[in-house]
Amino acid sequence: MQAGLLNTYQHPVSRRAWPAWALSALLLVSYVLLYFGPMPKLGIPIDVFETLAKAVGLGSKWTLYGLAYTVAMIAGGAFVLRRHGNSPYQRVRTITVVLVQVVLAFALPIVLTVFRQKEYYFSYFWPLKIEYFYPGVILQQPFLIVAWSFLGSLVAFPLLAYFFGKRFYCSWICGCGGLANTAGEPWRHLSDKSAGAWRLERISIHLVLFVALVTTAIVWVNWAVGKQYPAFSRFAFQVQDWYGFAIGAMFAGVIGVGLYPLMGTRVWCRFGCPMAAMLGLAQKLGRFRITVKKDMCISCGNCSTYCEMGIDVRQYAMANQSFTRAACVGCGMCAHVCPRGVLKLENRPRTFAAGRQIRVVSIDL
Amino acid sequence: MRYVILGNGVAGMETALALRRRDETASIALVSAEHDHFFSRPALMYVFAGQLALKDTEPYDRGLYERMGFERVRGAVTALDAAGKALVLEGGARVAYDRLLLACGSKARPAPWPGSDGPGVHGFVTLRDLERLDAEAKPGGRAVVIGGGLIGVEVAEILKDRGLHVTFVVRESWYFPLALDAREAALVGEHMRDHGIDVRLGANVAEILRGGAGSRPRAVRLAETGEELGCDLAACCIGVVPNTGFLAGSGLALSKGGAIETDDDLRTNLDGVWAAGDCANVTWADGSRRPEPLWYTARDQGRAAAASMLGDEVRYRRGTWYNSAKFFDLEWTTAGFVPVALNFDNTPLPRPEGVREWFQRVPGRPESQRIVLKGDRVVGFNMLGSRWNHEPLLEWIHERRELPWVLKHLPEAQFDEEFAPRFAVQPTAEVA
Repeated sequence: MQAGLLNTYQHPVSRRAWPAWALSALLLVSYVLLYFGPMPKLGIPIDVFETLAKAVGLGSKWTLYGLAYTVAMIAGGAFVLRRHGNSPYQRVRTITVVLVQVVLAFALPIVLTVFRQKEYYFSYFWPLKIEYFYPGVILQQPFLIVAWSFLGSLVAFPLLAYFFGKRFYCSWICGCGGLANTAGEPWRHLSDKSAGAWRLERISIHLVLFVALVTTAIVWVNWAVGKQYPAFSRFAFQVQDWYGFAIGAMFAGVIGVGLYPLMGTRVWCRFGCPMAAMLGLAQKLGRFRITVKKDMCISCGNCSTYCEMGIDVRQYAMANQSFTRAACVGCGMCAHVCPRGVLKLENRPRTFAAGRQIRVVSIDL
Repeated sequence: MRYVILGNGVAGMETALALRRRDETASIALVSAEHDHFFSRPALMYVFAGQLALKDTEPYDRGLYERMGFERVRGAVTALDAAGKALVLEGGARVAYDRLLLACGSKARPAPWPGSDGPGVHGFVTLRDLERLDAEAKPGGRAVVIGGGLIGVEVAEILKDRGLHVTFVVRESWYFPLALDAREAALVGEHMRDHGIDVRLGANVAEILRGGAGSRPRAVRLAETGEELGCDLAACCIGVVPNTGFLAGSGLALSKGGAIETDDDLRTNLDGVWAAGDCANVTWADGSRRPEPLWYTARDQGRAAAASMLGDEVRYRRGTWYNSAKFFDLEWTTAGFVPVALNFDNTPLPRPEGVREWFQRVPGRPESQRIVLKGDRVVGFNMLGSRWNHEPLLEWIHERRELPWVLKHLPEAQFDEEFAPRFAVQPTAEVA
């Protein structure tokens, strides 16, 4: 017996009433304090979270943040299982993404520091974790970790996205997606479904990917020839800092999580994440698709409403068009909430086993 | 050319869109008293339950009417003036047409029992029904839901979800005998009881009891046992009737049940007037004349009506039967011919000559599969508790496939999400 999604709109925190605004404000302030530490000009002389972390006996504010993040995912995961545990896909996916967070993104980095190794998050990869391709990081890490990082980013992930869709990362491994799909569940229906948001998404996400590539290149050029050109070297450090501030801290953290209660959970994944952009291109060429059952849709709108990526799934379902969208993170909620079982996530060559061609209409990115 | 469409539901909207695709300049007006925008009627239960906002159930963005050049007339129609080629609105305003489509849909069949008239007895078909039920259904209250069909189970679910105590009164010996046999209905009944519904089978309503005339319902009295089911409200979900009362005296030919008689091209007996959707009487594959109160047939009829109104030669016939639904968490898919096993008077209906059934229950889960055979040929499927793609199932029926072939290929038609248990023939499967 499942709680399901009934009553979603009855909770003030899920329908942009004042508790949602209050929570969003609290999250935004917390992220600003976390990322930017003491801000004497604003009358905050101390690093609030660092002080708090020390007071409770944790090494640094980042350990405290990791702990809070992991606890939020575990609690959110339990919430999702209570709502959707009758769906095998939701069950397996939720348990996996929480386990990856607990083991790879939380426990293992702590173990590494205990053994006096450099901290490393095994579930994060370039270009999402852009510094993992910076020479400064690569040269400090043992060969196996560098190999893990390069093989993941450049070989394994594009291939996995080709065969299984980008969901293997975005909603099974990634911590950003993991938080969205656990603690962020009460807000998944708030994503913007308008055509304008779709247009913006296509521009912004690929722009961030481009900027990430350029930034990585600049850092490498600086590593190679920076000593001869001090002016370029200063510029390269500025670019690196700017990327870390604007994309890493502001977009992914402050906006990405801080606006959960107002704009839905995947704002960063949809409009900003360079990893999602890269894997989305592989997905677009690959086998992953959402198959639509013919003439069974009752146009109820559950699929579109609960799509966290703002895809208007209903339009495809009404038109009997199986489809692949670059943005789709394969969370599977559209298929799960469909009261007529119209949708199915599949990784298949684009025919049925019986040899019949099916209608796949790839609208575009 | 001025097209007027009475009704802003799926049949009316599909007609309007199809007309516009073929005729960019025609004047097209949609007349409705219910809502400014086309919305999905089957989604109303989710609006009641707070899973969807009403706006979420609108399939198109709100700019559609302007973009398509659809004129909207909001108002209740009181009469059709066929001689003057106009609809008459409440208040006397007239909407003139050259060609008219009547897609005025259906409404809840009124409760027929003594004590039914008055407050607190609800249907659940229109937006007004939803608003009235929403205002009266209070957590902690008691509701009696009467009726053994799809709307009944939906209303039971959303009232239970709101925190009311729900008694579900079904006249027949088992739930939904039009589509389920006794074995399948037992699974659904058990599932409903697991969800906390008090299910009463084989129970006829005798009377709705009130404290006094005009006061709220106090109880529903059952005919067989005389038991009084205490309640604060009753939901009467015993089917729908065509919403055609205002057409009396217009000269339009109506069936005994009040549906608008149409020819194969969806024309009515009046010049320049067509009908489609729940309000239209059409010919079924078995030759009988009934409305088809389904979402997808309303859509198909709308498209056919548009072609007919544009002068095409049209012969509307629905293809092989299929449908799907959900009883709480249990999904159901049907395709092809599935015999009804219970008569209207609650006596068993013998199986048609030469028809056998392959049936299995999946142990440990509320799941069953039923395959209907004529001789060795597969002619129908009734699948409960798992998801199926009706398209290959229908294809196999048309290809006159036999049972062993179908059982071998059945996993290809399974549509459950990944990691769901796969279809397998159980040792207990039997043909009888």
